[in-house]
Amino acid sequence: MIAPSAPSIVIAAGLRSPWIKAGGQFRGEDAGHLGAAVTRELLARTGVRGEQLDEVITGSVGPPHDQANLSRVVALRAGIPQEVPARTVARNCASGIEAVTQAVTEIRAGNGSLYMCLGVEVMSAYPLIMGRKLTGFFERMMKARSLLARLSTLASFRPSMLAPRVALLEGLRDPISNLLMGQTAEVLVRDFGLTREDCDTYATESHHRARLSRDRGRFEREILPMAPLSRKPIMDLVRHDDGIRDDQTVEALMRMRPYFEKPDGVVTIGNSCGITDGACALLITTEEKASELGLQPLARIRSYAWAGLDPSRMGLGPVFSSKLALEQAGCTLEDMDVIEINEAFAAQVLACKQAFASDKFAREHLGQDEAMGEIDSVKLNPNGGAVALGHPVGATGGRLLLTAAHELAAGDHNLALATLCIGGGQGGAVVLERINGSAA
Amino acid sequence: MEESNMQEAPQSEETVLITEQELSEFEATPSAIGFPMPDDAPDPGTCIRVERPESGLAVVTFDSPHRSFPIFDAPLLRDLDTVLTELENDVTLKGIVFTGRHPGQFLAGADVEAIQEITDPLLVEQAVIAVHALFDRVERLKPRTVAAVGGPVPGGAFEFSMACDRILLVDDKSSRIGLPETMLGILPGWGGSHRLPRRIGIPGALDCILTGRMLPAKPAKKRGLVDRLVHAEDLARVASDIAMGRKNCRRFSRGIWKWLIDRNPLATSVIRSKALAGVDSKANGKYPAPYAALDLVLSAPGAVRSTWAAREAKAIGTLATGRVCKSLVGIFFASEAAKKLGKRADGSEPARPEHATVVGAGVMGAGIASSLALARVNVRLGDLSSKALATAISSHRKEVEKRRRRKRLQPHAANAAIDHLVGVEGLLGMARSEIAIEAVAEVLHVKASVFGELAEQLADDAILATNTSSLSVTAIAKDLPHPERVVGMHFFNPVKAMPLVEVVRGEETSDETITRTCALAIALGKTPVVTRDVPGFLVNRILGPYLDEAVRLFVGGADVERVDSLMLNFGMPMGPFVLLDEVGFDIAQHAAASLHAGYGDRMEPCPGLSGMGDDRRLGRKTGKGFYDHPKPGDRKGKRTVAQDLANFQTESWASSLPDAEITDRLVYAMVGEAARCLEEKVVKDESTLDLASVFGTGFAPFRGGLWSHAQRIGLEAVCARMAELHSREDVHARGGGADRFDPAPVAARMTE
Repeated sequence: MIAPSAPSIVIAAGLRSPWIKAGGQFRGEDAGHLGAAVTRELLARTGVRGEQLDEVITGSVGPPHDQANLSRVVALRAGIPQEVPARTVARNCASGIEAVTQAVTEIRAGNGSLYMCLGVEVMSAYPLIMGRKLTGFFERMMKARSLLARLSTLASFRPSMLAPRVALLEGLRDPISNLLMGQTAEVLVRDFGLTREDCDTYATESHHRARLSRDRGRFEREILPMAPLSRKPIMDLVRHDDGIRDDQTVEALMRMRPYFEKPDGVVTIGNSCGITDGACALLITTEEKASELGLQPLARIRSYAWAGLDPSRMGLGPVFSSKLALEQAGCTLEDMDVIEINEAFAAQVLACKQAFASDKFAREHLGQDEAMGEIDSVKLNPNGGAVALGHPVGATGGRLLLTAAHELAAGDHNLALATLCIGGGQGGAVVLERINGSAA
Repeated sequence: MEESNMQEAPQSEETVLITEQELSEFEATPSAIGFPMPDDAPDPGTCIRVERPESGLAVVTFDSPHRSFPIFDAPLLRDLDTVLTELENDVTLKGIVFTGRHPGQFLAGADVEAIQEITDPLLVEQAVIAVHALFDRVERLKPRTVAAVGGPVPGGAFEFSMACDRILLVDDKSSRIGLPETMLGILPGWGGSHRLPRRIGIPGALDCILTGRMLPAKPAKKRGLVDRLVHAEDLARVASDIAMGRKNCRRFSRGIWKWLIDRNPLATSVIRSKALAGVDSKANGKYPAPYAALDLVLSAPGAVRSTWAAREAKAIGTLATGRVCKSLVGIFFASEAAKKLGKRADGSEPARPEHATVVGAGVMGAGIASSLALARVNVRLGDLSSKALATAISSHRKEVEKRRRRKRLQPHAANAAIDHLVGVEGLLGMARSEIAIEAVAEVLHVKASVFGELAEQLADDAILATNTSSLSVTAIAKDLPHPERVVGMHFFNPVKAMPLVEVVRGEETSDETITRTCALAIALGKTPVVTRDVPGFLVNRILGPYLDEAVRLFVGGADVERVDSLMLNFGMPMGPFVLLDEVGFDIAQHAAASLHAGYGDRMEPCPGLSGMGDDRRLGRKTGKGFYDHPKPGDRKGKRTVAQDLANFQTESWASSLPDAEITDRLVYAMVGEAARCLEEKVVKDESTLDLASVFGTGFAPFRGGLWSHAQRIGLEAVCARMAELHSREDVHARGGGADRFDPAPVAARMTE
């Protein structure tokens, strides 16, 4: 529980880029530019000056190799004065939330009161890496002094050395359980007896909801139309998430082949989240400071929690972390009006839903007799989720908070839970609360 | 393109040719050096300091007490003579360092004011030969001589450095070295035309001298203009070490290429024809200096040492006293004067804005936003159309990419330039802007409402600048809070190429607003001219009658290509019909209509243009105007005159006009309007008008600008000719537009 004297911490404002499928309109982007673009705009729109910030905290899973402290690059390119420090943080898929919770920690500790928190991921730019073998070959060539030594080293070259390692694939494999993320979802499918049809139906609903929200302009309040870096002239600003398929049907999804476990698996590309580029910026501060700055905060951060679990069942992370976050907030699952569970895989969300509702699971894993409760499907991801929108890993956490915070006002709700599973076997959860007079 | 040369000249010599010193009367007899000695000349021996920090080393510092930036004026040359005698007689010396007051300041070359005043070629020759003798003595000094220079090192300062054994240049952003003399209509006359080709070869020397470009440190080292780069802090130490032989420093050498190219008659003849073609395309026979420089440089490697002084003196004697040189120097001084507009009365300079807003992402708005972003200002470009924003951003990025490819921007600077331009749908988040420039539709209430909305967001002292060309600044400012910060900032299309900005003073515009706006224009690399808030301001007001006369000639049956080539030959950068095609018929007609509304009959436009077609025939942007234009992207395609023009030529009186009459009608239409502008004090003075005509209309720089041109012909003769044109039958018959040939306003100037 938070001490009564602790300051009330709020999401004062936020903006994100559209979520764009990797290799698409953002293929020329780089993380520094994308992050700076949303940051600069958020500052301009809120009227907050860069020098007022205590720090810029950026979450990213795979920052570009030439931007070692991505956050610093983002801050300076956004025109934030050099005196303001910046750090890059990582907690795999939850890096965007990690940036926010670190800011919360800093504010609670009294170290500062105004933080720019980002999640940035340009998965289009993930590199192919030259393997160890080739690196070793070059090393030996450098060391070879005499002509003979050089020739013999040269002779040791094998074409197989040229085989690259795909950073994207290797990043999505858990090195402890040696499972690809999709394979951990297949584990849950077997644990909870999920069917292919369950998953594809859920995925279709995600596209459907996302489409409706897009069409009624629900995302306009959070998306900044972008002019992406590109070699060709751009014809228009990019303003919509491009992963949403307007005419998605269950039948079409059912025709896809399982990707991770053939032939009997149920996880397909169609019911998994997409590989995506995007950036999200949130201004985290205290309620007091926000009113000082003349800002109408989106939501109060009531509590947050992190939890660890079996890496091969990482998809259940939301269940474990939500239990802790709800306890801290002094609320129950039922109190939540909006629940954002990141859709890494449709199967994984469905598994969580079952685990939340299962007394047995509660006894075996959560150390309590009764289940946390049923989740009403209407409350769950009302604007669709990552299956439709995509999942730019480091940036997703920010979007969950931003979307949930806006949903409080948009749907006239009081409490929201934003939670996600984290590769490597963790879960993260944040409870948000509407502030009276929040901007509608 | 002469006017592009002229653009570069003042920019590259920003702080170079200091002219603040009023040059006093010449002495009756020239001094021994051949230069006139000013009245306020300091005592002998005070302009150059000689120090001996260690035995065997002399450090010679140029430090004229009467100059904020020393130049090679008479007192300095007098003292140099004395110092050289002292150095020549000192047998203990091992090394000599020549340097400036500090690493960022050496010498600013020759005395440009003296060049403007001088009229006797013999006097020039005498002065040149005297300086040659001095520099030759520097070259013959036995000890090792090192020129340790930094900051701007133009012309004479560089020529002096080349007489030393080694040249050290400070590796700093402020360093610029080169021979810009041809920009002013003269050529390097203190040995530069010989020493540079000998040093870096004929091709390199031609490039330096003909373009007049001042090179930054790294390119200067790469091309061999200097022998070594050094940090400012190390300049004195390293120079001493090299002079004393403690450090090695190889003199730049071209090795075998010297023999393969510079001394190979076959190679030089190829270079000559290439270079000549290049000079022709730019100078078009109107500027003698590049031709003279070309001849000198090409024959330099073979020229006998003792003939250098005479060769250069002869060439420069003719050039410096010639008309073109005086014209170019006049414009140079006018543009230097324009730079002072960016300073307050107390000499302080307003801070460059960090944040700016541009509203309207059309061609003008996009161009203005792009120049601001390239000048490291954070720009928010607002427009309601996201497509227009995307186009504006794309064209900015294309320009950045071009500069990056040409290494004018390093990758990190290119990134910053891209970051500095942000597109905004609407007018969101503009509060931090210190200046907002609008380039929206030319409709009073649209502009006023944009400013009204911005005024609510922006600070009370943020400048609201309008890029209008046809509306009154005062009218736009009328209902705004704090109208004293509303000003006109009239850029010309295309923004990145056109060097002029008209800063328009509305009735309530404050001096501080004018100064800040001028300072911003200067920061963008433009030359500001302050004008009164009259219809068309200055440039469009002058151009209006010129273009209308051209259209009248066309309707009267004159051949389009003939008129264009006549004006090209006169020295305009392009003929009037090419210009109309570039501007666009719609824009031209709109401008003409607003001039007509403002000035009445005198500006009544000929209806010829409106009869030429509809929306599909508006000039280059539609592919067809007076000419057929190649499609965008078609690089090989050439402009050809349209075949159907005869359909629009309803009369035939102009088809047989003599060349002189065509030129005179076009030019005198401008002269008449210029006289009225001077009378109404639209701009401060005649030299400002000259500057604006050259930078804004591209009026032949070698003629010194519109009013200089009229004065050179003689106002009396101009009046006579105008009266003649005024009485022409067709002029009478046309009704409106006849009075532009009324000689009275010009006659009124004669009595001034």
